[in-house]
Amino acid sequence: MSEFQPFKNESQTVEIGNLKIENRLDKVSIYGDIDITQDKIGLNHARTLKSMFDQVVSTLEAAELPDAIQAPVVKSVPNPF
Amino acid sequence: MWSWSPRSNVLLPQSAGTYNIFKKINQADHVKTIYSFLLLASVSASVSATNCPQHFAAGLAPMIVNQKMAAATQELCYEGYGAMHSGVTRTPLWSAEHLTRANLEVAQSLSREDSFHPDPNLLINGRAELKDYSRSGYDRGHMSPNSDFSTRTAQYESFSLGNIVPQDANNNRQIWSGVERSTRRLAKAQGELYVITGPAFLGNSLNRVGNVLVPTHLYKVVYSPMLNQAAAYFVANTATSNYSVISISMLEAKIGINLLPGVSQSVKNTAMQLPAPTPYSRNESGYTQVGIDQISSASAAAGAGAINYVQGSKLVNAAPAIAATVQFIRNIGR
Repeated sequence: MSEFQPFKNESQTVEIGNLKIENRLDKVSIYGDIDITQDKIGLNHARTLKSMFDQVVSTLEAAELPDAIQAPVVKSVPNPF
Repeated sequence: MWSWSPRSNVLLPQSAGTYNIFKKINQADHVKTIYSFLLLASVSASVSATNCPQHFAAGLAPMIVNQKMAAATQELCYEGYGAMHSGVTRTPLWSAEHLTRANLEVAQSLSREDSFHPDPNLLINGRAELKDYSRSGYDRGHMSPNSDFSTRTAQYESFSLGNIVPQDANNNRQIWSGVERSTRRLAKAQGELYVITGPAFLGNSLNRVGNVLVPTHLYKVVYSPMLNQAAAYFVANTATSNYSVISISMLEAKIGINLLPGVSQSVKNTAMQLPAPTPYSRNESGYTQVGIDQISSASAAAGAGAINYVQGSKLVNAAPAIAATVQFIRNIGR
C-alpha cells in the first residue's frame, strides 16, 4: 500500500477488517474491531497494523510535542432553515 | 400532488417465484408514475427531476418542501448513491441508495485504502473542503456508508465530502455504525431496501466547523419493497445510546423534505419495525429504543439516559406470509 503519512493530511484512510484508520492533522483515529486470526490473512493484517503503528510512533518521536492538542474551535450560528 | 399507490397492498410475496411477478407489477407502476410525473412537472415547482432514478424508490427523488433548504442545492449522481448537496450547510441534505443482497455480499470488507476528498462536481464556493473538518473534533460521517459498496469506484465516491457531515465521533463509531450494520443485515434478509440517509438541522442555533454546519440529528429512512413498509431511525448527533424509530410522515414534518414521494401516504404514516442497532460485540449493553420526545437536541441528549422508556413502533397487521420476516426483524438486533 502507499505510505501512510500520519498527521500529514486529512485524506488517507485504511480499512482492515472492521477496523477503520483515518488520518487527521491532529490525530490518527482508529475504531471498529478486528480479529487477528492464526492464518495467513491474520499475519497480513498484523503486519499492516504494525507498519502503521511504527510510522505513528516514529513520527511522534521525531516531533516537538505539546502536552495536549488544542481544543477544537466550534462556532455557534443562527439556523438558516 | 398526485395520488398514486405504489404497490398493491394485497399482493405480498409468498415465495421467490411470486416475488418476480411482484417486481414486474412494480415496473409497470413505475412507468405509470413517470408518466404522471411528467404531467405534473409543469404545475408543481417542488417536483424535482433526478438524473439517477435508480437510487430511489419508484425512481422518485425526495422533494424539498421547506424552500429555505432549496437554496444553492446541487444533485450528485454516483454509482452507489444519489445525493442532494446544500451550499448553505455544505453537506448533503440526503444521500440515497438501493441496497441489494447481491451487492452487499460482494461488499464484504477486505483491507483497502481510500481518501476523503472535496467533491469536484460541486461549486467551489459552496462545498466543504478537508480543512473545514481539520482540528474540528468531529468525525467525517458518511451518509451512504462506504461498507455498503462493492466496487472501487463506488467506495471512492462515498468518501466525497458531498456525502459527509460533521458527526460526533462516538456517535459515528458506535450507535450509527450499529444502525448501518442492522440496515445491511435487513437488506440481506429481505433481498433489497431503498435507504435514504441525511442530517437534520433543528433548533434556533447550530454549530459550525470551518464553513460546514453541524447537524443536530441524523436520520436513516428504510423502505422495504417486499413489505411495502417504511420507517426511519432518528438519532441525536451526540454521544448517545438512544435511538428512535419513527414514521416517514413524522420525519418529513420535522425536516421539511418529502423523502418518499413514490410511496403512499398510508405507508408513510405507520412506522414499520426496524431492528435495533447492531453492537460490535455482544458483550456491549447495546442501544435503547425510546420515544421521539426523548430524542432531544444535541446539547441535552448526552445526559438523557436516565429516563429511557421503550415504545415499540406500531406494527402493521402482518399477514402470515410476512410473519417470518417480522420475527427476523425482532431477532436481528441482538
